[in-house]
Amino acid sequence: MRLIGVDVGGTFTDIVFTDTQTNMSYIHKVPTTPEDPSKGIMQGVIELCDRNEVGKETINHFLHGTTIATNAVLEYNGALTGIITTRNYRDILHIGRHQRPQHYSIMQEIPWQDRPLVKRRFRKVVSERIAPPNGEILEPLNEDEVRTSVKELKNQGVQSIAVCFLFSYIDPNHEEKAKKIIEEEFPQAFVTTSSSISPQFREFERFTTAAMNAFVGPAVRNYINNLKKSISEAGLKTELHIMGSNGGVATADLVEEKPVLTLLSGPAAGVLGGAWCGTLSDRNNLITFDVGGTSADIGIVTEGKFSEASARDTSIADYPLMVPMIDIHTIGAGGGSIAWEDAGGSFRVGPKSAGSKPGPAAYARGGDLPTVTDANVVLGRLSKDNFLGGEMTLDEEAAKRVISNFAKKLELSINETAEGILTILNANMANAIRSRTVQKGIDPREYVLVAFGGAGPLHGAEVASELGVKEVLVPPYPGITSAVGLLTTDHKYDAIKTEFQIEGNIDFKKLNTDFNAMEEDLSRQFASQGVDLDQMKFIKSGDFRYAGQGYELRIDIDSKEINELNIKDIFEKFHQNHLVEYGQNYPDSPIELVNARVTGIGKMPKISNNKLNNSTERNFQKALVKNDKCTFRVEGVLKAYDTKYLIRDLLPISENFSGPAIIFQKDTTTVVPPNCSFTQEESGNLFISIGTK
Amino acid sequence: MNNFSKNKNSIDPITASVIQGALENIAIEMGYKLMRMAYSSIIRESEDFGAAIVDTKFRQLCESKQSTPLQSGPIPGYIRGICKEFEKRGEGINPGDVIMHNDPYGGSSHGPDVLFAVPAFYDNQLVGWSATTAHHLDIGALSPGSCGIVDAMDVYAEGLQFKAIKVYDKGKKNEMIWHMLRDNIRAAHLVVPDMEAQIAAAKIGSERFIDLIERYTIETVLAAAESMMASSEKMMRDAISKIPDGKYEALGHIDGYEFSENPKEKNLPIKVTVEVNGSDMIVDLTGTAEQIDLPINMPLAGTVDVAIWLTVRSVLCDTATIGNVPQNSGLTKPIKIVAPLGTLANPKFPAPVIARFSPGVIIADTLMHALAPAVPKQISAGVGNLKVIAFSGLEDDKHWVHMEIFEGAYGGRYQKDGMDAVDTLYANTRNNPIEDIESHLPLRVNRYEMREGSVPPGKWRGGIGAIREFTFLNDGGYSVEGEGHLFKPWGFENGSEGETASLKFERHDGKSENLPSKLPYKPAKTGDKFVAVGPCGGGYGNPFDREPAKVLDDVLDGFISEKDALKDYGVIIQNGKLNLNETEKVRNK
Repeated sequence: MRLIGVDVGGTFTDIVFTDTQTNMSYIHKVPTTPEDPSKGIMQGVIELCDRNEVGKETINHFLHGTTIATNAVLEYNGALTGIITTRNYRDILHIGRHQRPQHYSIMQEIPWQDRPLVKRRFRKVVSERIAPPNGEILEPLNEDEVRTSVKELKNQGVQSIAVCFLFSYIDPNHEEKAKKIIEEEFPQAFVTTSSSISPQFREFERFTTAAMNAFVGPAVRNYINNLKKSISEAGLKTELHIMGSNGGVATADLVEEKPVLTLLSGPAAGVLGGAWCGTLSDRNNLITFDVGGTSADIGIVTEGKFSEASARDTSIADYPLMVPMIDIHTIGAGGGSIAWEDAGGSFRVGPKSAGSKPGPAAYARGGDLPTVTDANVVLGRLSKDNFLGGEMTLDEEAAKRVISNFAKKLELSINETAEGILTILNANMANAIRSRTVQKGIDPREYVLVAFGGAGPLHGAEVASELGVKEVLVPPYPGITSAVGLLTTDHKYDAIKTEFQIEGNIDFKKLNTDFNAMEEDLSRQFASQGVDLDQMKFIKSGDFRYAGQGYELRIDIDSKEINELNIKDIFEKFHQNHLVEYGQNYPDSPIELVNARVTGIGKMPKISNNKLNNSTERNFQKALVKNDKCTFRVEGVLKAYDTKYLIRDLLPISENFSGPAIIFQKDTTTVVPPNCSFTQEESGNLFISIGTK
Repeated sequence: MNNFSKNKNSIDPITASVIQGALENIAIEMGYKLMRMAYSSIIRESEDFGAAIVDTKFRQLCESKQSTPLQSGPIPGYIRGICKEFEKRGEGINPGDVIMHNDPYGGSSHGPDVLFAVPAFYDNQLVGWSATTAHHLDIGALSPGSCGIVDAMDVYAEGLQFKAIKVYDKGKKNEMIWHMLRDNIRAAHLVVPDMEAQIAAAKIGSERFIDLIERYTIETVLAAAESMMASSEKMMRDAISKIPDGKYEALGHIDGYEFSENPKEKNLPIKVTVEVNGSDMIVDLTGTAEQIDLPINMPLAGTVDVAIWLTVRSVLCDTATIGNVPQNSGLTKPIKIVAPLGTLANPKFPAPVIARFSPGVIIADTLMHALAPAVPKQISAGVGNLKVIAFSGLEDDKHWVHMEIFEGAYGGRYQKDGMDAVDTLYANTRNNPIEDIESHLPLRVNRYEMREGSVPPGKWRGGIGAIREFTFLNDGGYSVEGEGHLFKPWGFENGSEGETASLKFERHDGKSENLPSKLPYKPAKTGDKFVAVGPCGGGYGNPFDREPAKVLDDVLDGFISEKDALKDYGVIIQNGKLNLNETEKVRNK
């Protein structure tokens, strides 16, 4: 099988090709074309194929990570959207949870009020009402009112409509009926229902998710259609698969219907790519550490499995979002993070970033604020001549100027200030990792830190040392780990049903029926895409809590059929997980099953590794660019050390060298502090062993 | 550990920043765990809880960001109260102790907000405190729930009083106390696990604090704490210095007991005088009504101080304007509070205080009113107050209690309309999803929408309140605790006044009545229904200066009619179209 993975970022479009028979892989990078990303994509794909003599028509799968939906939300420029909702509940989207985002602020904005996905004039109400627990119909759907509402919305110029009824997760019938009427009255509109997007309780979050789906729907649909057209025009005869936030791919058709599933597609692919690099070296407890210019994305992989975010913790641009997502913790810390003195005179780094425009002062694009990149330049960790494989020169003088100006304010030396910026940034990143490990009962010392993205390998070793992590893994191509991740994924679809069943009173028949129905739905979906039965896998799980609590924990369910007996094991697992996660449990309290879930996996072919050859080209002398001074803090003392500057592609395989060292490659720079050592492995991974600080 | 060179402070700014981040991270973890473990919706959904680390001088070092300010703010006062009590009794504090405290005359905000504190020991020395507070569903008062106990005659009637009670003594659980709690608290099957969650979260906080000390040494952590507090204090002092020296005053009113025949129990004045002198501020409540024998008196430590601190910092150190401001006791140092003993704002023991919540919002709002002329671009016009209804009943011999907080709204702000339908000032809780309420309680939520046709005009209009309706699906009971039925939120610079709130009770038999803002426990029948209309905040600036396009927006969104647009704003809108020429003529008249 021949696969191609394309990850579109803000600046670059990364392309990876692999042939699963020959194990040959090629990579390519082209500038992103923001006005129509499909242009850059196709240019890059064609170039890659031509350069490596790959027949375009021989490509079997095209896997794609896109930020179209994400950008529409972040830039607040989605479609003009309307909703049709239950009468008497017109303003759920506006009131939200009636909480202000900030405690201590009069002048704050409330995202869902100041940047509404759906203005009130486009929120139409119709008579209908369903009630729990079993979906009793208190009021039937008034179809005429639906028809009138659609006409009004159409006249108002709305392009996209979400149907949002209370309790639709119990019975989607009213929503489905309304959707049909919309399709009859206004076939051009993009239509979505809250129950099809996220059939879970919590109306504000579900309605917002549905409204967001409608908000981004038309843009994503256009984009996919364009891309499909360009793909076939270029002579490719492949199906398009798109990466979802859940860590799996979906068909383009499904994403057109549910674009909201792709909002975290880029970072998700990063976690997968990081995890794949771990498996190359038989490491399966990993902290993925993806650091770019503005933010750091942190994911946790335990025994090869990444964790999924709890439905209550997922959001984008401060709107809540209830769709399955890999648990990725993002903080505003990256190469462009700005160092500043706050109103009280304290030294801070980030979350504001100079981004790529104007960028750090060292980029010489007009940036005049001290950033992390500038600090790295001052300390000698980034070299002006070897940045981005020499494609970009750094302005050392500018970096020194901004850091020394800042140093004067703090009454510190320039080196202390530069190192201080890194210490604060690294501490912020270590805190973020603690919140996903130590605070959840996971010991980071048993994990390997996989450092990638443009800035991850610069900071990985020092962050690891802060956490007591012993090993840092730097992937072969740290800058394109997300694109590689695309080629390691399966089709993955999630089904969910809210149950609210309490221990001691569980309706096993209903539960098993619900699980089976979800599984059948998913297998039909796979079958319709031509996935063979033996390539499908289904994983059951449940969201459990003690009856009365408000937050659930996900527990996997292995048994085929759930009964009185095996449910005890499931409950026991819940008690255990609760203890690990929170440091406390309530063994005598009854447990409630809130949601039943089935994840369907349709196997896809994947990238495999081509090992590095230990040719004579690879030796230390050839790799060595220079010996120079680089400043580090060791055991509290700041000092300039004799440091080796090396080219990664020329490092000999399996030889261990001691730090300090700075290792260059085209897409990143790796820093190995003193007291650490490093080895380039045959697998392509570079390992840093962390010594004592 | 690191030996960064020292600059003007006793600690280098880098280590100070790193330790501050670590402390904030500890408080976040405490809050996260408590909220996720909690059983009762008032904690897990409304987020009416607090978590903080306090030093041995009763200064707050950090607080959990999720919690509501009225919970985390008082924690240092509770710890002070505990220590005073121990000193009085000659009792020692030991490793392994867990202390329960809820004395409103010893730092607590009111009885239902029970604190659990874990003393942090390092090298056998007490180095600080890790503590959590939470609003409990029931604390054994005269009627079910812990809101709407508006007829308590003194603190004894408000429920159990815990004054520095060791629920764990040197690590050993005091089982007798727990038996007593279970026997004296309604819905103990929810309240007791919530208390256990609080203890677990406080223990984690203490462990993490000790870890931090082990990593950096006690001297470094304490020096960092000093530096953080100095930095926060400087932020506040700089902000106060920008206000011209002088006196600023305002008068606010609370409903009190609007149906009472005793004139001393209703229409009660809250007087605030702010005196600015350089970087110091005195907030003087002299002129505020005398205390009464009903529980709307407000503890000075725990309620009044928090209301004042919160308002000053939200206005002067607004996080939306200046970014993250480390929350610690440094922020409150420049502010001195004067409240004469025997007034609503500083009652004498054993005056009842349990329903102090919504009067406290008026202290905060009146203080903002006083500051308004000094910092007109940083305040909102008058804020709409809140209300709590405690719903309760018996099912299968077990109590259920549900407390729902009904939102208010903010007044208009400089260049911004008021925030619609949110919790206000020192309260920042969340509502409960309708789909959760109806799935777990014998209640129906019949309506949840914005008010229409009563938007307070202004160049920047007042925030709009919400309407919520609840029906009992089984027999049960209810009580009400709120404010804002009688006095409209203030308008600013020719903006209109806001709108009052109201509460209607529609009985199952078809009769209906308007309820006051405070009502003690009453039984309810299946089919009885509440219609709660929330308040709207005051307008800011002359409505005739409002951008016509914004007036059109409110018409199109159904908040005001075309007629109102003309009457209130001088804007001509016909069939949803703006007529700018005619508008200009009307406005120029």
